[in-house]
Amino acid sequence: MSEDTWATETVDALSRAGVDLAVHLPDSSIDPLTDAFEAHDDVESVLVSREEEAVGVLSGAWVGGRRGALVCQSSGLANTFNALGSLSLPARIPFIGLVSRRGDLGEFNLAQVPMGYNLPEVLDDIGLRNHVVEDRDEVAERTHMAALSAFSTETPYVVMLDTTVIGYKSEADE
Amino acid sequence: MTADQHECTAAVLEETPDAAVVANLGVASYVLADVEDRPRNFYQWGSMGVTTPVGLGMALATDDPVTVLDGDGSMLMSLGALSTVKGVDPENLAIVVFDNGVYETTGGQQTHAATTDFAAAARACGLEAETVDTTADFEAAYRDAVAHDGAALVACEVEPVEPDTRPPFDYAHIKRRVRDSLTGDEA
Repeated sequence: MSEDTWATETVDALSRAGVDLAVHLPDSSIDPLTDAFEAHDDVESVLVSREEEAVGVLSGAWVGGRRGALVCQSSGLANTFNALGSLSLPARIPFIGLVSRRGDLGEFNLAQVPMGYNLPEVLDDIGLRNHVVEDRDEVAERTHMAALSAFSTETPYVVMLDTTVIGYKSEADE
Repeated sequence: MTADQHECTAAVLEETPDAAVVANLGVASYVLADVEDRPRNFYQWGSMGVTTPVGLGMALATDDPVTVLDGDGSMLMSLGALSTVKGVDPENLAIVVFDNGVYETTGGQQTHAATTDFAAAARACGLEAETVDTTADFEAAYRDAVAHDGAALVACEVEPVEPDTRPPFDYAHIKRRVRDSLTGDEA
C-alpha cells in the first residue's frame, strides 16, 4: 500500500459510515489522515486548541444530528479524559476516535510512554471501547467497523494506530 | 451593580425561543431548569470547561440559534476554546458567560474572574464581545450577539445564587430530547 493510501481509504470509509465532521489537533504522524479529511468534499474539518474541546464539539454536533471523528495523538487523548468520563460515556454520545499511539515500538521520548503505551488499558478502565491497529492494510476496514458500532450503540469508540502504521520519529535511531 | 441570572436566562428564552441552549454544569443548568425545562435545553452534568465547545459543535449541526450559558469557572478552564470558536465563527452561536466570581457548585470558593476581563479576552481571540452588569443591558447585548454575523460573547456579571431546581438526572434522556428536537425526530 502506498504511503498515504491507507489514510484516504480510511477517510472514504468513515464518510460511508456517515462521518461528515473531523475535529483534530495536528501530529506529524497523522498528517496523512488530517490531510485526507481536509481534502474530502463531504467532510468538514475543525481545528481545536485542546483535545478536550474536540469531545465537546463532536458531542454537540452529534446531538445536532451529525457524525464526527476525533483525530489526535495519544498524549492529546489524555487531555480528554474528564470529557470522556463525564460527557461521552454517561450521556452516551458517540464519536469515532483515530489516535496515533506513541510510547511503544520505536519510541525515543519517555514523556510519551506512560500515556501512549498504556492508553488501551486506561480506556478499558473507564469502559471506553478501543482497538489497536498494527497493519496499514487493516486501518480502513477496522475503523469503518468501529465507526458503525460507535454510532449504532451510541457510544464512543477509539481506534489507535501503532507506529507500524504511522511510523516513528528518527531520534530513536540516532 | 449586577444583573439577575434568573431574569437574564428568562430573557434568553424570550429573545430566542427556538434556540438550543447549552448550559454549564451547576448554577447555569439549575437556573435554566427553573426558568423552563424545555426539550432544547442541553444541561451539562459534568465536563466543566467543555460547555462552550459543545455549543460550537451544536451550532455546526443546526441552522437554529444556539446559545451557551457558561460560567466564569468553566470559561477559565478553557479560554483557548474562544480561539477555536473564532476559527469556525458560526453566525448562529451566542455565548453568555455568567460571571458570579465563584465556584458556586463546589462551595462558593473564589475564581480568578475578578482579575479577568472575559469580553476583552474574547475580543483578543477575534470575537465580538461585551460586558454587562444589569439585566436591561444584558437584554440589549444578547440581542446584538444573536444578530451579529458571527459568534459573539456576552460577559454578564451576576450575584451567586443557589437555586433548588435540578434538571433531569438522566443524562442520556437529556441528550435524546435535545437531539430529537433538533433533528425533527420528536414522537
